[in-house]
Amino acid sequence: MTLATTVLAGAKDRVLPPSIPFRYFGAAVLFHPALWLLVLIGAPETVGFSGGTGLSLAALHILTLGVLATTAMGAALQLLPVATRQAMPAHWPARLGFWLLVPGTLMVGHGMATATGWAMALGGAMAATALAMLGVLIAINLMRARDLGLVAAHGQVAILSLFALLVLGLLLVFNFAHGFLPDHRAVARTHLILAGYGFMGMFVAGFSQILVPMFALAASPDRTLGRAGLWLAVLALALGVAGALSAVGALVIAAIVAGLAATAAHVTAMARVMRKRMRKRLGLSFVMIRVAWVLLPLSLVIGLLDQLGLMGERGGTLFVFVLFAGWLLTMLLGVLQRILPFLATMHPAGDGGRMPTLSQLTAEGPLKVATICHLAALAVSTAGIATGQELVLRLGAGVGLAGAIAFAVFAAPIFWRLMRRRSRASNPENQTSG
Amino acid sequence: MMDYMRSINRMLHDEHMATIALLERIKSTLAAHRKAPPDAKAPDIASVLRDLVASVEADISVHFAFEQVELFTRLSEAGDTGMTSILQEEHDVILPLGEQVSGLARTAIDSGFTEESWAEFRRLSAELVERMIAHIQKEEMGMLAALEEILDEDADMAVMMRYAELR
Repeated sequence: MTLATTVLAGAKDRVLPPSIPFRYFGAAVLFHPALWLLVLIGAPETVGFSGGTGLSLAALHILTLGVLATTAMGAALQLLPVATRQAMPAHWPARLGFWLLVPGTLMVGHGMATATGWAMALGGAMAATALAMLGVLIAINLMRARDLGLVAAHGQVAILSLFALLVLGLLLVFNFAHGFLPDHRAVARTHLILAGYGFMGMFVAGFSQILVPMFALAASPDRTLGRAGLWLAVLALALGVAGALSAVGALVIAAIVAGLAATAAHVTAMARVMRKRMRKRLGLSFVMIRVAWVLLPLSLVIGLLDQLGLMGERGGTLFVFVLFAGWLLTMLLGVLQRILPFLATMHPAGDGGRMPTLSQLTAEGPLKVATICHLAALAVSTAGIATGQELVLRLGAGVGLAGAIAFAVFAAPIFWRLMRRRSRASNPENQTSG
Repeated sequence: MMDYMRSINRMLHDEHMATIALLERIKSTLAAHRKAPPDAKAPDIASVLRDLVASVEADISVHFAFEQVELFTRLSEAGDTGMTSILQEEHDVILPLGEQVSGLARTAIDSGFTEESWAEFRRLSAELVERMIAHIQKEEMGMLAALEEILDEDADMAVMMRYAELR
């Protein structure tokens, strides 16, 4: 057996041990309140943010790496093998990736908050290594998929964007200390576009093709609209990257227009799925998902107005907030509150115990609080940033923090049950029947 | 949900959709009568109860038996033991639960609901609806997709014929 086959010899089973995806979800749930805490403390800096190290940059990366990327990786590791009908080639990169990504994220956050070059560099290298490894794992899985068409195509664009943004991210982190980039801001804008619309955006759009019909009990989305949306998104990304790197405004504007067209195709496809769904009552998760579908084009409109110089000095910060905390965080929280209990039931009890129902795994009270607080936090924080009022932003962040804690209270029993089942399964004398 | 090439998947998918339609009717009935029991002789209620009994006693039990005998074994042989374990566990819970609910429905068809029997029916059928929907979602996403991969045309025809014999 060669080293390659030894390394890649792994489980045939498509369902990973729950400890693998759920450790990523757990990290996301814990980084979520940390994000709002940083926004709360860093509010005076955030309302006047124009780049550079500090609490705002730290908060952004706690959000992107700690919450969004970990959720994306957990979901990909759990759902892709089931959807592609191909087991992950190996489990160890997923385990190792976690132990690099989480400490790396903490170190990046610390380094950015305190302008500590070595922490940014080391943390960035750790996080980038983790995400690159996971990206390769996902890419191999997607390449083996035979009949996932649009989902695989979105995934491939997402992974390519991921690799590109990791390279740019490392360049930026090292540039803080060594100053070798001719235009740090241009590279930072490109990194941002690839992170928000490339990696996370394509990931969200791809998984929406599976998850929205699955949870709404509806037929697959329209493939023609899906293909149109994908190609327009690729065009938008290419124009956006070219425009950001070259600082040619016309290219950026063209990118935003293409992005709006891609959004129209995607949201129209999703709306048609929703209209023909069999499940009538969809719950709080789809309130969040629907709000996210509004915030996506809103982020692009704000970007356009800012590009045209119509948003004032806080336009850039507003754009970043609506893109990442607005669209992406809202979307992922909506999906996460649905898939956490569902995925918890995808692992056999194996101990004679009866698997709880989804409603038994869903703490409705904390979830309502989390949803209301998140939406309120978005509205208030956006107002604070737009008007430059740090107190308003602090209020919004405080509400966001309360919501993030409530979300953790919702998620905790799910993790607790999984840990208890795992403990019972490995200790036969502790098993109970019925 | 996917478009399927294999005949058996298309048939199972159609049955899943029919079951979901019934489950949504049950949910609506439960939502419309939260406190006081409905009149079991009323046409809409009687229709739901009859369809529920028929679904559990004929469709679901046959569907589950077929999956366990013909499909789970093939999936396990292909190495997909995790998914089949989960689905088997869910069958082991859903079928007895369905039989309990069906029994309550039969009694109600004959002699109506009391407050106690309606409360029991509400509790158990809400659980049945929830478990069945989650189970169908897993089968659509996991099992049927895997069978597209595992079954060739000959195997597809063979399992279709066996399912037809069972029905």
